[in-house]
Amino acid sequence: MVIKYKNQFKTEAPWSDANQKMLALDTGSWRTERPVLDKSLCNYCGLCAIYCPPQCMKDMGDHYEANLAFCKGCGICAHECPKKAYTMKPEGDFTDAG
Amino acid sequence: MQAKKGKVSVMMGNVVAANVARLCRPEVVACYPITPQSEVAETISGFVADGSLDAEIVEVEGENSAMNVVLAASAAGARTFTATSSYGLVYMYDAILQASGFRVPVVMVNVNRETPGIHSVSSGQQDMISTRDAGWVQIIVENNQEIADQLIMCYKLAEDFDIQLPVMMNYDGYYLSYLNEEVEIPEQSDVDAFLAPLKNQPQRPRIIPGASTGCGTHGMEMGYVEARYKHWTAMDRAKQKVDDIDKEFGEYFGRSYGGQIEEYRMKDADIAILASGSAAGTAKTVVDTKREEGIKVGLVKLRLFRPFPEERLIKALKGKKAVGVIDRSICFGWKYGPMCMELKAIAPAIGSMPILSYIDGLANLDITVPHIGRVVDEVSAAAKGKAYQAVTWIPME
Amino acid sequence: MVEATKKRNRVFDYFCETDQFSGGVAWCAGCPLELIARTVPKVLGKNMVFVGTPSCSAPVLHGQNIGAWHKISYLACVMTGVASSATGLSRYFQRTKQDATVVAFTGDGCATDIGFQTLSGAAERNERFIYLAYDNEGYMNTGNQRSSATQKGAATTTTPVGKIGKGKPTASKNMTMIMLMHKPRYMATANPAYMEDFAKKLQKAKEAAKEGFVYLHVFSPCPVGWRIDSNLVIDVCRTATRTNWFPLWEAENGKPRFTVEVASPKPITDFTKLMRKFSHLKEDGLAELQKQVDERYSLLKLLVDNIK
Repeated sequence: MVIKYKNQFKTEAPWSDANQKMLALDTGSWRTERPVLDKSLCNYCGLCAIYCPPQCMKDMGDHYEANLAFCKGCGICAHECPKKAYTMKPEGDFTDAG
Repeated sequence: MQAKKGKVSVMMGNVVAANVARLCRPEVVACYPITPQSEVAETISGFVADGSLDAEIVEVEGENSAMNVVLAASAAGARTFTATSSYGLVYMYDAILQASGFRVPVVMVNVNRETPGIHSVSSGQQDMISTRDAGWVQIIVENNQEIADQLIMCYKLAEDFDIQLPVMMNYDGYYLSYLNEEVEIPEQSDVDAFLAPLKNQPQRPRIIPGASTGCGTHGMEMGYVEARYKHWTAMDRAKQKVDDIDKEFGEYFGRSYGGQIEEYRMKDADIAILASGSAAGTAKTVVDTKREEGIKVGLVKLRLFRPFPEERLIKALKGKKAVGVIDRSICFGWKYGPMCMELKAIAPAIGSMPILSYIDGLANLDITVPHIGRVVDEVSAAAKGKAYQAVTWIPME
Repeated sequence: MVEATKKRNRVFDYFCETDQFSGGVAWCAGCPLELIARTVPKVLGKNMVFVGTPSCSAPVLHGQNIGAWHKISYLACVMTGVASSATGLSRYFQRTKQDATVVAFTGDGCATDIGFQTLSGAAERNERFIYLAYDNEGYMNTGNQRSSATQKGAATTTTPVGKIGKGKPTASKNMTMIMLMHKPRYMATANPAYMEDFAKKLQKAKEAAKEGFVYLHVFSPCPVGWRIDSNLVIDVCRTATRTNWFPLWEAENGKPRFTVEVASPKPITDFTKLMRKFSHLKEDGLAELQKQVDERYSLLKLLVDNIK
C-alpha cells in the first residue's frame, strides 16, 4: 500500500487543540435582520449585552453595538431593551459594506 | 536475572491479580463486583482501606461507570486498573470502544465467564470473543503464576509510547479465579524497576486544565480515517512488542512465556493442537502422554488473541500435517469455533493441512484429559488422510 | 437625550474571565444554551474542564479534528458515561492537586434518561464536580424527541399529535426533586433570564465542588423545538419563573431555599402561549399542566419551610 495521505494529527489519538486551530463560523451570514441602535434612547443598562446568546455585543463605553461578523439576528436584544432603543431591520436594507 | 526472589505462597487466582495490580501502583481504580471476579474488587478495596495501596478507588454503581472512570482518569494521565467479567464486560462495551479509540493505556483483568443469552454463572471465553473487535490488546493466561507475571507486562505494553493501547488480560473464571496455587509474587522494588523505563519515554497527551487539550474530538472524514489507521497500525506493532517485553521479563525475573504464543514440543511435531487458558495446561499433560505413545504432537498455546499473532503462528504451524483447535467459545454464524475460524484465515500461509475445530469447555464443563486425548487421536488420523469432522461439539457427542 | 447611567451593569462583575468560545459557533439563533455555555467559563474561569456528550452542546463543545470551538480543555464521552468520566477526572485532579473545576455539561436527555444512573451514582458517592444539566425538555439535537423531562401533552417527533396521539402521555420526571433527595453538597435551579442569580450560583457551585457533589439544573427552552420566535426566548425564560413553571431555588446539603420569590405567580397559559409546542392542548390539557406546576411548587415550598 502506498500512502499518499499526510497526517493532520501530531498525536496517535485524535485530540483537538484550540492553540493550534481555533474554529469560527461565519454566523453573521445567517442573519435576515440586524439590530440597529438609536443611541439617544440607550441608557447603557447592558441588558442587550447580558442576554445576547452569541455574546457579540461590543462595549462602546456608553452604549453597545452588535459585532456584525457574528450577530445571528435573533432579535433578543431588541425585545429585551427596556428603552426600545433597537429596531430590527431587514438585511436587505444594507449593502455588503453595511 | 536481576530480580530478588519474591514471596512464595499459595494464593487464589483473583487474589493474585489484586496483589500484583497493587504492585503496579495504579492511581485510580474502579471495580464493580461480579462473579467470578468479586475477590479482585474486594482484595483491592482492602488494600486501599489498610493503606497498602495509595490509590483513588471509586466504588462505582455499574461496570459501564467503572470503565468510564478509568478511561477518563487515564486520559488525564493516571495509571489505572479495573477488573470485570462477562456481563460486566459487555455492559461497558461502549466505554471499551471509547478507551481504545482514545488510545488510553487502561489495564483490565477480565475473568472469563459465559455471556448473557442463556443465563449462566460459569466459565467460558464467550465474553472475550464478544469483544474481540473492540480494538483492545487481548491476552490469555494459563495459570496463577502467569496471572502475576503477565499483569506486570500488561502495564509495560499498554503505556509504551509506541503502543498506547488498552490491554485486557483474560483468565478462566472458576478454573483460575478460584484456584489456590503456589505462586511467587515479585518484590515491589523489582516491579518498580521493571516499569521504570516507561517514565523516560515521551509523555502521551493528557487532559490538562487551562491548556485547551481536547480529548474526544469529532473525527471528520480523513481525521476519522487517520485515527483509525493509527489505531490499526499500533495493534500491528503490539505483536512484536509482546515478544520483546516477554523477553525483557524473562531476563529480569527469570520467567518467560514465549510472547505471543508458547510453542510446547512443536519443533519436531507432526501435528499440533491450538488451545488457550487453563485448558492449555491440561493439554501439555496430554501432549506428554501421547508423545510416550509415539504420536509426535505439539501444543501451540495462544497467549495473544488480539492482535492475532499471524506471523508467529505461521512460523510455528507451517509444514505440520494437521492441526486441532480447541475453542472455549462459539462463533455464531460460522461452522467453526472462533479461534479455529481465525486460524483458517491464515491457512493458505501454513499449508493445506486439515484444520479440525473442537468446541468444548462451555459452562464450567471441563475440558478433560480424555477429551484432549480424543482430539489428538482424531487430528493424528486426519494427518494420515482419514476422513474427519470439520467441527465437533465435544459435549454434544 | 436620556441621562446615561454610565455605570456598567453589575452582572459583568461576576465574570472573571473573557469569553472562551469562538465568536461564531453553530448554535441556533436565539438559543439560550449558547448564553449558558458562554457564561459558564466566564464565571468559573479557565481552569475548568468540560465533560460533554452527544447533545445540543456537542457540536460546539467538542472539536472537529484538530480544531476546537473554545479554549477550555474537555473530554467528550458517550451519553452513558458522563458522570462517571467526570468522576475519573475529578479524582485524578484532586490526587495530583491540579486546580480544576470539572463540569459535566449535558442536556436533560442525558441527565434524566440515559445518563441518569451514573449521575445518581456520582451524587451518592459525593464526587467533587459540577453536573450542569440544561433543560430543553427533550432530545433537541436529534430533532425534538421526547425525554423524561418532556412535559405531559407536549408534541414531539416521538410523541406526535394525531388521530390517536395526544402528545406525551406522562408527566415529566421531577428531576430537581430527585436530585434534592440525594442531598448534594450544593444544588440549584438557574435561568438565563436571571443572569445575576445564575452567576452567583455558578460561583457557589465552584466552591462547593471542592467539597462535594454539585447539581445545577438550568432552564434552556429550545426556540426551534418548542417553536418560539427567537426574539422571545429570554421572555419565555422569565415567564417560566414568573409562572412557577421553573422556580428558582438552591439547596446547601439538602436544605432548599428560594432565591427568587414570586409573590403572585402568573397562570401557566402566560407561558404556554409564547410557544407553539402546546398549541394543540385544550383546556383540560392545560389545566393538568397548571395542576402539576402548582403541586410541584407546593411540595417544594413544603420542603423549604420544613427542612431545618
